[in-house]
Amino acid sequence: MGLITQTNEEYYAGQKAYTIIQGSSQKVFSTSFDLELELSVDGVSNSNFNLEYSTDGINWSNYIFVNPTVQLEISVDKKTITIPSSAPAIGSTTATTIARITLKDYAKWENYGGYQYISFEDIVNNFLVAYVGEDKLIPKVKRTDVMFHAKRGVQEFNYDTLKSIKSQELTIPPSLSLVIPQDYVNYVELSYIDSSGVKHIIYPTTLTSNPYTVPLQDDEGLPVEDAFAENLEGTSLINKAWRQANQNNIDGQQDWNNVGVWDWNWWKLMYGERYGLDPQYSQSNGWFTIDEREGKFSFSSNLTDRLIILEYISDGLSSDLDTKVPKMAEEAMYMHIAYAMLAGRQNVPEYIVNRFKKDRRAALRNAKIRLSNIKLDEFVQIMRGKSKWIKS
Amino acid sequence: MVNVNTVYRTVLYILNKEQRGYLTPAEFNKLANQVQLEIFEKYFDEMNMVLRMPVNNSEYADREKNLDEKISVFEKDGSCLSTTPPNYSFPVDLHRIGSISYNGKSLERVSHSEYNLIQKSPFTKPTTSFPVYILKGTFDSTIAPLAMDVYPTTINTNLPIHYIKKPSEPIWAYKKNAQGGFIYQEAASATAVPATGSVQFELHPTEQTNIILNILMYAGVIIRDPQIVQNAAQMIAQDEAVEKS
Repeated sequence: MGLITQTNEEYYAGQKAYTIIQGSSQKVFSTSFDLELELSVDGVSNSNFNLEYSTDGINWSNYIFVNPTVQLEISVDKKTITIPSSAPAIGSTTATTIARITLKDYAKWENYGGYQYISFEDIVNNFLVAYVGEDKLIPKVKRTDVMFHAKRGVQEFNYDTLKSIKSQELTIPPSLSLVIPQDYVNYVELSYIDSSGVKHIIYPTTLTSNPYTVPLQDDEGLPVEDAFAENLEGTSLINKAWRQANQNNIDGQQDWNNVGVWDWNWWKLMYGERYGLDPQYSQSNGWFTIDEREGKFSFSSNLTDRLIILEYISDGLSSDLDTKVPKMAEEAMYMHIAYAMLAGRQNVPEYIVNRFKKDRRAALRNAKIRLSNIKLDEFVQIMRGKSKWIKS
Repeated sequence: MVNVNTVYRTVLYILNKEQRGYLTPAEFNKLANQVQLEIFEKYFDEMNMVLRMPVNNSEYADREKNLDEKISVFEKDGSCLSTTPPNYSFPVDLHRIGSISYNGKSLERVSHSEYNLIQKSPFTKPTTSFPVYILKGTFDSTIAPLAMDVYPTTINTNLPIHYIKKPSEPIWAYKKNAQGGFIYQEAASATAVPATGSVQFELHPTEQTNIILNILMYAGVIIRDPQIVQNAAQMIAQDEAVEKS
């Protein structure tokens, strides 16, 4: 038996159908989906599946909608749905009925491509089976220790090895700020999207800063306290100035016909223009900074109402659903856990620790190369431009 | 399984060979239980010792395998019953806990202080994928002396347990004939003493000699015959020396 347990119908169509012949009825519906059926998914919906039935295969009725008081029962392994004894079974005395469990779209998407990953649970169990026991380097271990090191491994690998880039499509509001995503660890890239759907990178800037505190001051410059002896906070004038700034004065995108270069104060026009525009500022895509005080991204004023894509990395542990590791990095995970376990134990010879340190490094390097997704054909295609003459 | 009647007859035969004395069924039953528990409890220490000794891979002389076979006689599947979450009760015949699982996932035993630590860390907090249990006493003589708390508390179904059961008390049941002699009674019968009939030794059949020698040693104490005690003890010591060398 192979590792694939779900049927083609369950994988591709995201459903499992049951034929209930005329005159009979059915209350128990077993499936072999790879993902677990859930009656309630936090923040998403009530359940990640529907139980439907039809007598003609065209018009389907949702069982839950027929009788809203019915709370379906799910087996402990989350694979079998049972209609409780107090509720009517599915079936008809006049026609053959087809019942089906269909995954909702987001559950179906989660199921697609799932074979490229191994679950965190499998990683821990496989490690315990293969690396722990009599006559092995680790004779005995607490499972919680393995869990700790495995989760730390998932976190570390997510930062620079695994394909963990998440992205959000957002529109920048007039306030020019967007809240940092809940599972954000660091950004990868922010880009605005033009009308053709092409990305233009938005760069971080050091031209301005976001103050962490903005205390109100009295005439002598001292912070003013409220009735609870806490400093009163105001709004940031720096942020206000940056939001209102004319970006053309920074990036040099001027209307040269009306620039007034003969004016006595012409040199004030653009940032650093007197000695030639600084190339790092000569781009018109816009800027962003991270406002740690408010926990938001702040954007420059030329990006109002722009459609952007925010690409960022998470640590892979933000929810249980996240906690899976690409099979390409499976060996690296085992090596990471083994090294972490041995390095943290007493009386383990240093040469053993060093051996596992090297093994870990080699396995991690392999995983990085594999997950870099370097394909020869794609590489060749990029290199086609190597002979192109660049005219100056 | 070792036949209780065979053991009793053999013991009587050896004791009476030179008119040394007699062991009543009641005395025998007490000794039988004592000996069975003694031999059974030694298995776990022996296993610990065997695991630290050089191993061989022979078919019949692998000590670890042979000992494991003797212990396996007492391995049993049962159910831990959920009372009020997180409390669970164990089967009443529990002797040693093997493994407890929830939805095919093994529960890990942790101490109370470990639990206090692991539940504080989001990395190690018990989940339905990696549940844990804490043992505690019941202090109730009518049920198993041990109980446990299972975490996370969302687990509230009965849990399958694989464990070593307590050996049943061996009983040589009898009924009396017209002359007042004891007649072995295997099956349950209203005239039998006790009425539930005989209960065999549950130890592995290879333990028959060991059982007989041990009972003889205790019987020697009862009938106050130091020669019996000395001989039996000597033979047991020889056996052990061979087994453990």
